[in-house]
This record gives sequence, structure tokens and C-alpha cells, in this order.
Amino acid sequence: MAFAWKAAGITYNRYLAVAARVVRRSLKDDKRLAAERRGEMDLRFAKWENGKQGENKSLATANTEAMAQHASGSSQ
Amino acid sequence: MNSLKVARVALRTRSTAVRTLQKRSYADVAPDKIKLSLALPHQAIYRSQDVVQVNIPAESGEMGILAQHVPSIEQLKPGLVEVIEEAGGSKQFFLSGGFATVQPNSVLSINAVEGYPLDDFSADAVRNQISEAQKIAGGSGSEQDIAEARIELEVLESLQAAMK
Repeated sequence: MAFAWKAAGITYNRYLAVAARVVRRSLKDDKRLAAERRGEMDLRFAKWENGKQGENKSLATANTEAMAQHASGSSQ
Repeated sequence: MNSLKVARVALRTRSTAVRTLQKRSYADVAPDKIKLSLALPHQAIYRSQDVVQVNIPAESGEMGILAQHVPSIEQLKPGLVEVIEEAGGSKQFFLSGGFATVQPNSVLSINAVEGYPLDDFSADAVRNQISEAQKIAGGSGSEQDIAEARIELEVLESLQAAMK
């Protein structure tokens, strides 16, 4: 089974998150407000090297960059 | 004469009782029912409840699952899951995508990220999002933005078709 989104480097995890987000946004207003809170994610991470903390990065931005890197169109 | 007949009847009922006991252990499901668990990360819609049939939108095609189905794992498309309950009524839920696992002994587990009854969706919200996603899908954004807009379109079109 070939999925078109795989060619753009999108992972299954991201695919599920996008599908869930659009389902939440399609709800009637009262349910939507309660549900959309579940979609919020603001994780940050830093890589530690030689006992020093590296740059603090947003996970969402890092994921987007990784997906662009893994797209079959770009050089690897 | 009469008491003999009574004794024979009693004997017969006991022998059938013994036979059913041997056949079924406590974990078994009634022979024509499936034990359904439909779980979201934040809520369990069904917890091992006996139902008659479940129709799921698998990536390999729409399928209806009855008791004694062969064990299998199916990836679900964003779509409508229909549960036919014991009382004869049926319930429909729109799931955003996930997996259905048919286990031996008529046990079915469905996992999805989001799932709501059709009544909870707003036709206006769906229509607005379709036109927005179409704009992004046909625009000049990044490859990832276009791919995500196409995923959204797939979900929205399935939802719109289910609501009609």
C-alpha cells in the first residue's frame, strides 16, 4: 500500500495527528473547544554533550525539519 | 411410575448442564457475539461489551466483523464505524484513523485517536475546512504542507460523505 504522504517524509504518527486535528476542528462548537485542548503540544528538548546543555529546540519544529529531510524528493 | 418419569427428566437436564459446563470456560463469549473494545487515548467508548456485528473502514476495504472472525490486524481509514448492538439498534462513530485487531475467540479491539458520533459534527465547519484545505493543497506551500492538506481533504471528504 503506497501512501502519497509518505513521499513527503510524513510519518504515520504525523498522519494520525493531522487526521485527528481535522476531526476535532469539525466538531460542533461546544465539543470542539473541549477537544481542541487535547491537540496542543509544546515539547522542547536539548541535547547534552560533554556535560553541557545544547540549544533548546521545539520538538514540533525539529519534526518538521526532519520530515523535509526525509522527503523522497530531496537529496539524502 | 410417575416418580420414575420425574427422575428421568432430572437426569436428562443434569447431563446437558454438565455438557455445557465442559464446553465453556468463564472467559468465553456467547457463540454469536463479539466482545468489542473501542478505545481512544482519553476515553473508552466500549469496554469488552458484547455486540452482534461491527463494520469497519479498513485500508484493505470495508469489512463487517461477526463472531468467530479469523484473527487479523487492519489499519483503519478515517471513516465510519458501525456497531450493531445486542438489542438490535446500531450506533455510528466517525474515527480519525487507527487500528482494529481481531483476536481469537471473538474479541475485537479498535484503537483510534479521535472518535465521535455523527451528530457531534458541524456540516458548516466541514465545508469551510474543505475549501481552506483545497486552497493549501493547490497552493505553493512546502511539500509537507501540501501533503498535510491532502490528508485533511481525505478525512473531510470521508466525513462529508458519512454525514449525508
